[in-house]
Amino acid sequence: MFINYEHENNVYGVTVERREDNYFITYDNTEYKVTCEEKKPGQLIIKIGDRIIKSIVTEGEQEKYIFIDGNVYKVKPVQLTGRTNKRKKEAGEADLDSPISGKIVNIKSKKDDTVKKGDVLIVIEAMKMEYLIRAPYDGVVKKVNFKENDQIEIGQTTVEITKK
Amino acid sequence: MFKKILIANRGEIAVRIIKACQELGIQTVAIYSDVDTTSPHVTLADESVNLGDPTPIESYLNIPKIIQIAKEKNAEAIHPGYGFLAENPDFAETCNKAGIKFIGPSSKVISLMGDKIAAKKTMEKAEVPVIPGYHGSKQDNESLAKEGIKIGFPLLVKATAGGGGKGMRVVKSEDMLLESIEGAKRESKSSFGNDTVFLEKYLEKPHHIEFQILADEKGNTIHLFERECSIQRRHQKIIEESPSPVMTPELREEMGKAAVTAAKTVGYSNAGTVEFMIDENLNYYFMEMNTRLQVEHPITEMTTGIDLAKWQLRIASGEPLTLKQEDIVQRGHAIECRIYAENPKNGFLPSTGMLHKVEEPVGPNIRVDSGIITNNVVSPYYDPMLSKLITYAENREECIQKIIWSLSNYVIMGVTSNISFLKKVLEHDEFHKGNTTTHFIDNYFSEWKKKKNALPVDALISLAIYDSMHSKKEETVRYKEADPHSPWKHVGRWRVSEEA
Repeated sequence: MFINYEHENNVYGVTVERREDNYFITYDNTEYKVTCEEKKPGQLIIKIGDRIIKSIVTEGEQEKYIFIDGNVYKVKPVQLTGRTNKRKKEAGEADLDSPISGKIVNIKSKKDDTVKKGDVLIVIEAMKMEYLIRAPYDGVVKKVNFKENDQIEIGQTTVEITKK
Repeated sequence: MFKKILIANRGEIAVRIIKACQELGIQTVAIYSDVDTTSPHVTLADESVNLGDPTPIESYLNIPKIIQIAKEKNAEAIHPGYGFLAENPDFAETCNKAGIKFIGPSSKVISLMGDKIAAKKTMEKAEVPVIPGYHGSKQDNESLAKEGIKIGFPLLVKATAGGGGKGMRVVKSEDMLLESIEGAKRESKSSFGNDTVFLEKYLEKPHHIEFQILADEKGNTIHLFERECSIQRRHQKIIEESPSPVMTPELREEMGKAAVTAAKTVGYSNAGTVEFMIDENLNYYFMEMNTRLQVEHPITEMTTGIDLAKWQLRIASGEPLTLKQEDIVQRGHAIECRIYAENPKNGFLPSTGMLHKVEEPVGPNIRVDSGIITNNVVSPYYDPMLSKLITYAENREECIQKIIWSLSNYVIMGVTSNISFLKKVLEHDEFHKGNTTTHFIDNYFSEWKKKKNALPVDALISLAIYDSMHSKKEETVRYKEADPHSPWKHVGRWRVSEEA
């Protein structure tokens, strides 16, 4: 079988075939002949010649996680039918998105306010910590998407600013 | 000794206390909110009671509800753990009035030590050195700014009721002063319901060193040596060790005496911690006293062999402290790493989600105090600390090696943790040299980004085999594993049909 894995925006194509007790894995024009024992669900002991790889694989909803040599990698299956269309963000826009899920505790800007780069626009509290959303550039506030005491989720846009 | 107590907390500390109770033959009542139904502390206890709404104020901070549960369950005492109600004098007082023993010092002492200004004034009177600053009652922003300018920069703005880095700001220059005062006040108001702040000289190259105290209710007070807790991010500790790499025997003795004086001055009872800062020249200053069992208590337990949680229970039940100062010996070296659900690549912001797999490292002198198991969900409601990894060894260098090994064998998948960051800190030359000032993370890791490393070939091989094993297409070959000599394996797959 042929599988594509995506990890941190890189795609890795691998083929794997099982013949008798061996697995034949081909990646990057190299074939690896290995044996493998699954000791517990997801816990693999792989032998490549005399070398032993110990790894643990576990599944999330869509993604898979692999633990190897003390590191955790998160991989996703690659959609072969078309690309997922991600909305491209304008430069600096990401700075107005909430970095965390939490509660809006203070709103320091309103519609039509002129703001300077670095001005605090909104204060979000999560896990008893405050996170300040600052203006990424000079501009005029077009819209404030929340009011005080609103719940905000990670990635939601707090304030929209028309760049000057 | 108590027959039954209630543990008013969650996570690893609830687990720690329940286990101590079980060893002493005390029945336990756990409490849990709706998002914690599958947490380990819930099933570990003898009884557990649902609090409903996970919002802290409705659950683990809900004094009337917790007192009512304790009464219904005939719990004789309440252990508050740390955080939540642990340093809330009203809670201690309410317990008292309800005839339930609060496991900790008296409400009066909590109140005094909780007020950082009053605490420092008390210590000054007892001739325990304190740090220069403004602890006055003029709390309007202009007066505070004036006092701040008098002390000079860098300067620390800190909430009187604060703790754990909440309601605290470092001010590097005058133009940031007002904004920082406002921010600290607001954060303190929302976290502690009180917006009094104080100002303090900000020490250069400081170490955070604290002394563990045990005191019984008859006034017998001892210390159990120091913990160095300087490795902090966002003003919260992430790595602690004992003994401190900068401590000298003379300073240890002097600071130990000062810590005992501090505790005795306020009539302290139960387990507590006196926090000091020391500067480059080993001058020490009293910072505050924590009137609870600390997160990092295990490293003291490892180096002294004394179980602090059990002593808390004994002392609260009225037993005298039979340990004498001269019997307490500090031996070997212990390090603790706090395992957080957070992303060091992204300003240490907490991460949430499902823990698809959790496996702890196992080995000699490796201790894991954990509040999580596989399939638990890390919610945004509470502190993102998942567990603590503690190792013990003959000396500091071996202890560092052991904890790095342990971190490399700690499996947490599904939620981003700080494990690889902790390893990098422990591997750093300056850490090995003992240059562990409180600015360590800022100095050496402020620009730290985990290298975008390619997926290693071994990982790809593992994934491919895993998918091959678990894919439905290859199911037939898996039957072979059942019995290699079975004739059925040559038959292929059958379909069982009712109609045939």
